[in-house]
Amino acid sequence: MSRFQGPSSLKRKQQESSSPLDSLSEQERTVYNVIKSKQDMGIWSRDLKRETNLLDNIVNKCMKILLAKKLIKEVVTKNKGKKHFMAAEFEPSKEITGGNWYVDGSLDTEFINLLKDQCFKWIYKMRVATSEGLSDAIRRSGIFKVEFTSQQIEEIVRALVLDNKIEEVNSNGMGEFDYIPVGKVCYKCISSEGKGEPKLGAMASIPCGVCTRISECAPDGVISPKTCIYYEKWLDF
Amino acid sequence: MGTLFSFRITSKNFSNWGYSFKLQQATGAGGNEVKVTQYLAVFSNILHRLRFPKFLAIVSQELDKDCEEIFEGLIQHGRLTLDQICDRAGSDKSGGGDSTVRAAVRENFNKLLNARFIERCPAPEPFLEPPTETKSSNKRGAKSAKLDGAPETEEQRIIAAAAPIEVLRFSNLATSGTDFDADEDVSGSSVGEKRKHGSLELNEEHGSKDKEVILWRVNFEEFIRCLRHKACIENVRARLDDGAAIVLKAMLDATRSIEKKVRTENSVPLSMNTIFEEVMKSEIGRSFTLDRVRASLVQLGCSPSDETYSIDLKKIIELAQNEEVESIVLKRYGRDAYRMFRLLSKSGHLLETDKIADMTFVEKKETPKILNKLWQDEYLHMEKLVVTATRQVSFLLWKVNKPILWDHVLDEMYHAALNLNQRLIYEQEQKENWAGIPQLEYYRCHEWVLFVFWFEMAQYLVQVPKKKICSVFVIRKLQRAAMKGKET
Ligand code: SF4
Repeated sequence: MSRFQGPSSLKRKQQESSSPLDSLSEQERTVYNVIKSKQDMGIWSRDLKRETNLLDNIVNKCMKILLAKKLIKEVVTKNKGKKHFMAAEFEPSKEITGGNWYVDGSLDTEFINLLKDQCFKWIYKMRVATSEGLSDAIRRSGIFKVEFTSQQIEEIVRALVLDNKIEEVNSNGMGEFDYIPVGKVCYKCISSEGKGEPKLGAMASIPCGVCTRISECAPDGVISPKTCIYYEKWLDF
Repeated sequence: MGTLFSFRITSKNFSNWGYSFKLQQATGAGGNEVKVTQYLAVFSNILHRLRFPKFLAIVSQELDKDCEEIFEGLIQHGRLTLDQICDRAGSDKSGGGDSTVRAAVRENFNKLLNARFIERCPAPEPFLEPPTETKSSNKRGAKSAKLDGAPETEEQRIIAAAAPIEVLRFSNLATSGTDFDADEDVSGSSVGEKRKHGSLELNEEHGSKDKEVILWRVNFEEFIRCLRHKACIENVRARLDDGAAIVLKAMLDATRSIEKKVRTENSVPLSMNTIFEEVMKSEIGRSFTLDRVRASLVQLGCSPSDETYSIDLKKIIELAQNEEVESIVLKRYGRDAYRMFRLLSKSGHLLETDKIADMTFVEKKETPKILNKLWQDEYLHMEKLVVTATRQVSFLLWKVNKPILWDHVLDEMYHAALNLNQRLIYEQEQKENWAGIPQLEYYRCHEWVLFVFWFEMAQYLVQVPKKKICSVFVIRKLQRAAMKGKET
């Protein structure tokens, strides 16, 4: 469709207004068209060079002009360090920015941790919570100015499960589950004290269990149990 | 493992750790059949040696001090007749009539036997037929006939051939007569040495009915079962609650002697009535209502509509193993790695780097670094995927390969155990850090023996942490400081 309409609508546009586009050279136009065709996904500078089949320095020159005319913009993506360009009228898609959890291309860890903490506290308070119940509780608490989608809350809950702070259980409709339909997925805190720290295993409680040099350690080797500094520390009362 | 532990096997201790067997072989001109005696070391029994302190502790806990003494004798000598056991007890205890000592020993011996902590020795030199042609040519059939699908090893064949029939294994009926005549002339020499005597003599001992000699030995299987049960119960207590642990304990205690395999996957099915009766037998269980027991069974994964209830022990152990490995990952590689590892371990299939980063909230740039580290240390499996579209793009896919990783972790556990032992010897030699020795000993006797066990499916007691020994150490530290103060 666009192949038919594209050039004619462009022509009409060009006739109607004297936009900065008018003054573009053939090469600049080629570069611009490729960038624009990528819409809200934008394009990585190296891919741009390949797709336009132009020499590096020519592409660079064209980019400078297009940037100066504010026809395109550089955007920060989750893959920081990769120069990424997009036509000025588009907003970068979630896929390239990394979505809601990213600010200026970096993961907003502080914000995520805050939300995780709040979710954990609510689940602890509620004993058993469904993700809808949790979304509701967070919204009503008014701690956050922004609204979260249910998908966002689910992502956070999933991370808490991976942290082994909460666990996923299916409601059996009895006891603490009595207000939740049977079979519905719910979340519970792992430990009753609400600390959410996983239990330390036996192996992990001795130095060798947590030692990353274990494969290099041998009875009379350079690293050996006799000379081991981790043991020294562990046995120093 | 072979490089980590070496044992000097003497004829004395061989009796406990190995088997001798006769093998039928066709050799020589005319295809004469000859029977040759061969020897086989049973490695799992050698490893049990490391757990003897734990086994002793169990006997003294579940029975009493006198039983422990008898048991210790069996551990030391490998195999003994009842008369030898009585003699040992008699020589230890001066005073008291010979017959009273014997009666007391016999009673304690029966206690050990009833608890199945000891058993009749397997037949000496079982006769082993060579694997038949049909078996080897029809491997598929033979394999599928076996429950677990694994081909039978020679070790398994020999042990099976030597095993006494189940009814006899824990029966001491024949011991009421004189079982000692044949041993009279070797008094003073150990049982192991006796085994060096000619096979003729052995045949006499075991062949003739009126001079039957029954040898007794430690039943490792029962200890493994006992520890495995405790491990499951403790895990359930920590993960679910006391109620579930009590119900599980009642079920396992009631069926301990009927369990067929040591590493059985599901507990023996019991009806609701039987479970309830068993729960009532324990002090805390007495306050339970039928509904409470039913709720605990549901917690343990049973369906409330079932007629009989059986607990999935394999699942409990799998969860415990996961916890153990995850805990290592957390301490070694940090929380982000922990989350990634758990994601991969739970999903069970390959996941791409970016997807992992998104799901675990880890920076895109950090993710490959962490995954790579885990991969280098053999905690993860990695595959490269190259896609050629407009340009070549490669993706890295990751997963946790449990069978391989579990093996690797077990190796690391044995390695860690060896290191702990070495450090203990070193500290003992140095005689400086005397406060450290009990800690090392504690972990050697209790912890590491047990965490290696986890992986062999039966560890417990992990939750007796350093805290308990720490209190001893605080006192020692104060003592040491005081001593130093005196010196200066
Ligand atoms: S002895 Fe020390 S260096 Fe060797 S594996 Fe253990 S902790 Fe690591």
